[in-house]
Formats: sequence, C-alpha cells, structure tokens
Amino acid sequence: RQGPAAPLCPSPCQCEEDGIFVMVDCSEMGLSSVPTGLSPLTTYLDLSMNNISEIQPRAFHRLHLLSELRISGNQLRYISGQALQGLHNLKVLMLQNNQLERLPDDAPWDLPNLLSLRLDANLLSKVPAEAFRGVRSLRHLWLDDNSLTEIPVMALDSLPSLQAMTLALNQITHIPDYAFTNLSALVVLHLHNNHIKSMDSKCFEGLLSLETLDLNYNDLQEFPVAIRTLSKLQELGFHNNNIKAIPERAFVGNPQLQTIHFYENPIQFVGKSAFQFLPKLHTLSLNGATQIQEFPDLKGTTSLEILTLTRAGLSALPLDLCEQLPRLRVLELSYNQIEDLPSFYHCSALQEIGLQHNQIRRIESSTFQQLSSLRSLDLSWNMIEWIHPDAFSLLHSLIKLDLTENRLSSVPVAGLGGLTHLKLRGNTELYEAFSPDHFPHMRVIEMPYAYQCCVYGSCDSYKPASQWDTEQSSTNEDLHKRTVAMYPIHADTHYDPDLEEFQLEIEESKLQASVQCTPTPGPFRPCESLLGSWLV
Amino acid sequence: RQHKISGVSSGCQQGGCLTCSDYNGCLSCRPRLFMHLERIGMKQIGVCMTSCPPGFYGTRSPERNTCTKCRSECDSCFNRHFCTRCRAGFYLHLGKCQENCPEGHVRSDAQRECV
Repeated sequence: RQGPAAPLCPSPCQCEEDGIFVMVDCSEMGLSSVPTGLSPLTTYLDLSMNNISEIQPRAFHRLHLLSELRISGNQLRYISGQALQGLHNLKVLMLQNNQLERLPDDAPWDLPNLLSLRLDANLLSKVPAEAFRGVRSLRHLWLDDNSLTEIPVMALDSLPSLQAMTLALNQITHIPDYAFTNLSALVVLHLHNNHIKSMDSKCFEGLLSLETLDLNYNDLQEFPVAIRTLSKLQELGFHNNNIKAIPERAFVGNPQLQTIHFYENPIQFVGKSAFQFLPKLHTLSLNGATQIQEFPDLKGTTSLEILTLTRAGLSALPLDLCEQLPRLRVLELSYNQIEDLPSFYHCSALQEIGLQHNQIRRIESSTFQQLSSLRSLDLSWNMIEWIHPDAFSLLHSLIKLDLTENRLSSVPVAGLGGLTHLKLRGNTELYEAFSPDHFPHMRVIEMPYAYQCCVYGSCDSYKPASQWDTEQSSTNEDLHKRTVAMYPIHADTHYDPDLEEFQLEIEESKLQASVQCTPTPGPFRPCESLLGSWLV
Repeated sequence: RQHKISGVSSGCQQGGCLTCSDYNGCLSCRPRLFMHLERIGMKQIGVCMTSCPPGFYGTRSPERNTCTKCRSECDSCFNRHFCTRCRAGFYLHLGKCQENCPEGHVRSDAQRECV
C-alpha cells in the first residue's frame, strides 16, 4: 500500500497502483462525505466504516472503470439514482450495515453490469417494484437482516440472472404463489429466521435451478408441499419449525436431494413412503416421532449411510432392511420397542449400531454375522437372556460392546478379542470372571460385581502377580499376606517407606495404563465372594 | 488482486468491538457486524467487520454473525456450496468452480468463468 502523497490519491486515503489503474482505500478514516478528486482510473474504492450519511449527486460520475465500491458501515439513509450515476462497469456494490430505510423507485440505480449487491443489515421494510430495474445482470443479492414483512415479488421480477439470494432475518410471514416465478437461474435461496407461517402450494413455481432451500427457524405449521416443483433441489432445511407430520411421498418431486435437516419439529407422523426414491440421500434422522409404528419404506433410497430413528414406536424391522440400505454405516434405533432383529448380513459397511432401550430378548448367530467393519454395538437396556456362542465370532473390528442392564448369565467371548470397552453392569445373573487373556486390548470394563474386577489386578496391585497366583492355601497367614499386600502401611518391621512409595507409584501407573475395571473392589467389596454369593 | 481487508482495524481501538482485550483484540462485536478470528503468527486476534475477508462468507443469525471458510477452489463465495469468484485455474459456472466448463461454454481466464 502506498502512502497518501501519491498524486492520484485524495487525502487521507491510501492508494495502490495496479498497472495503470488505482485501488483506493479510505476505510475507517472518519470521513463524513465521499472524497473528491478520485482518479478516473480508480477500479476499487473502499469507503467502509466511516461517518458518511449522504452521497452527493454525481459523486462517482467520472469513475466509469470502477469495479468494486464499498460503502458498508456508514450512516446512509437513502441513495438516489443520481448518486450512483456513471458507474457503468461496477460489479460489486457493498451497502450493508447502513441505515437505508428505502430504495429509489421512480429513478432507480443504473448499474448495468452489477453482479453482487449487498443490502444486508439495513432498515428496509419494503422493496419498491422498480428498485432493481437498472441492475438486470445481478447474480447475488443480500437482503438479510432488514425489516421486510413480505417477499418483494414485483422487484424480483427484474432479475432473470439472479443465482443466489438471502432474505433471512426479516419478518416475512407468508410466501404467495409465483413469488419467484422469473428466477429460473436461482440456485440458492435463504429464508431462515423469518416468521413464515404459511406457503401457497405454487409459491416455488419457476425456480428451475434451485439446489439449496433454507427454511430453518420459521413457524411453518405444515410440511412445505410447494417444494414438489423443485426438481434440482439438493439441500433442504426446515429444522426449528412447528411441523407435525411428513406426508406420504413427501419428496417425490426432489430426486436429487442429498441432505434434509428437519430436527426440532414436533413431528409425530411420517408417511411410510415419505422417504422413498431419494437415491442421493445419505443422512436421515428422525427423533421422537412417536406415531411412527412401522419402519419407513426406503425403496430407491439406496445411498443412505446414516439412519437415525429414535424414540418412535417401532416394534419390528423389515427383513430386507439391508437389501434396501446396502451402504448403511450408522444405524441408530434406540428408544423403540423392537423385539426381534433381522439379520444385518447385507449391511456390510455398518460401523455403528445403537439398539439400546428396546425389548430384544435373543441374539442369534446370524444377527450380526459378516459385519467385519462393525466398531460399536450398543445393546444396553434390553431383555437379552441368550446370545448364540458364534454371535460375535466374525466381528473383527468390534472395539465397543455395551450389554448393560440385560438378563445375561453368560457372554460368548469368541470374536471379542479386539474389545477396548465392554459393559456388563446390571446383568445380575452373570457371575463369571472373564480372564484378561480374552481381552488383550481392554481399557474400560464394567462388571456386575466388584470381585469380577480382581482378575484385572485391582485387588492386589502392590504384589507381583506371579507370587500371588502360586499361593493356594486359605489360612489366616494368607489372609494377613493379602491384607499387607493391599494396605502396605500395616507391613512388619523391615518396612521402608520410600521404597514402598516408589513401588506404589509404579504399580499405580501400571494399573492405570492397563485396565479400568469397575466396580472397584475395596474394604467393603473384597475380592473373595463371601458365602458363595456376594452379599455384603 | 488482493484487496485490503476492508471494514476493519486491529487491536482494541477498532470501531467494531463491543468488548475487547489488547492481547486478543475484539472479544465481541457491535450488533450486525461479523466476528472473524484472524491469525497473526501464533496469535489469533478477534476482528469485527462489515464483510468477511476474501475466502470467507458471512452467516447472519439472531445471536451472532460469523465468518466461515469458502471451499478451497473459491476466492469468494455466497455460502459453503456457492462460489462467486474462483481461484486461478478454476472457472465459475452457476456457483461451482470447476477445472473444465460444461458443454456449450468456454473458459475465460480473465474472469475465471465459463462463458
């Protein structure tokens, strides 16, 4: 950046030469008006963050080569057509963060090559019908964060080349039929954070190129059936609304859909065919739709990778679930009433399964067979009494298995050698103490009883394991030895506190590095199971 | 042509800060301004601006206004999926920056667009 002394540069601005052209930066200089004496070779002019409240007529009339004009962050209330006269080559006009209350109507701005117009963060309550008559080449329009109460339908009619527009953060309550009918090139439309309560069924007619539609944070009461005409739609958002049902064949007109965000809606009902024939959809999440009794028919929605359907009323799963969803990676079906499981055999890409809080009783050998990519399986809070010995045998990638709060008396360990996390708490009939040899990579294990953690050295972590294993007698002397091992402070006369302290730290670090087993044995939960069953 | 980041000054004297510290710059912005964390060496300085810097787009919401990075092939963009100007070597068509143009269009290096 050159200093202000350069001859072409009006004080106190900073100028930079770009070949024969000039880039002028007058931002944040406390200016109250547009500087005079700007070179006709100016291509970039930044007047942002000043105190300019008015633009004198013909202030830029010599700047025919100006390509970008920034007047954001000033106090402008109105800009007449004459103020912007002469800017034949202007492509970018930034007027955001001013106090604009209205736009010119009778003599609109004449900017034939304008591509981007920023009017966001102003005080516009409406847009006159003729406001955009002189900017027909416009492609990108920001009108967000204003006070519009309706879609400026007439004004938008003058913008056949518009490709991206935001009307977000206004007070629009309704979208009428044919609101955007001339915007055949529009690709992105943001309407989030308005008060849209209703939409006419033909309100999106004419939007032949629309790919992104954002209706989040509104007050929609009904599913926006008007989207049916949007054949190119790829991304649709209507989360944080007040929609209670998704009808049958809801997205029949939108085969290109890749993402649909509709969380934070009180959705109770979902048509069984609502999500059919969406071959590019990769994520579907439905939470709390209590009226869903049947698993949705996902025929033709073959690219789904993440399916979340929780807190509904499902009691069964289709047998051909995996044939319909061969690319499924995450299946989250917690908080339903599922009793029987199909074979997930064809879902070979599955990495995570969440089936917690259901009513499953048995796990067959075929249920999770061939799921060589499965890493996490949550079956907690069910009623599982029996698991086939081979149920987990081929789950080579499984590292987390949660069987908390079931009715198991035994657990097959075949195939579980890779586990790092195993949870069995709450299986009150399960007494077996699993040998650490079964789980060489184990880091966190939860058992029904404390004594089952003793095999992990939690009981006698101050004594060499081998010496501990070879002693078989059960006399008082052994009891004394174990007590000394557990509580070194009671050791006999040769006791060396420093050596003891040093040993304690080694064992502690060894313990933490190996396995965290809970519930941890202690004085009131000794390693020996008293009277054959643990009472105290 | 790299424009100066307009609508911004650094440190605590910035016009846009609502709260700030000399070390971290703006901690919050005046209403309707965008907060952007600018990296200067190892430090990150909070900067309040009327428009996000090149290579970022602004997202307004009732709580705050943030700057988010455009896709790598875009010099500037309207949102994450819609570019308004491409990086050298890419050509703009309907908001997408591609190395080649669709049928019926040719590459314009001056405008970096398919025309």
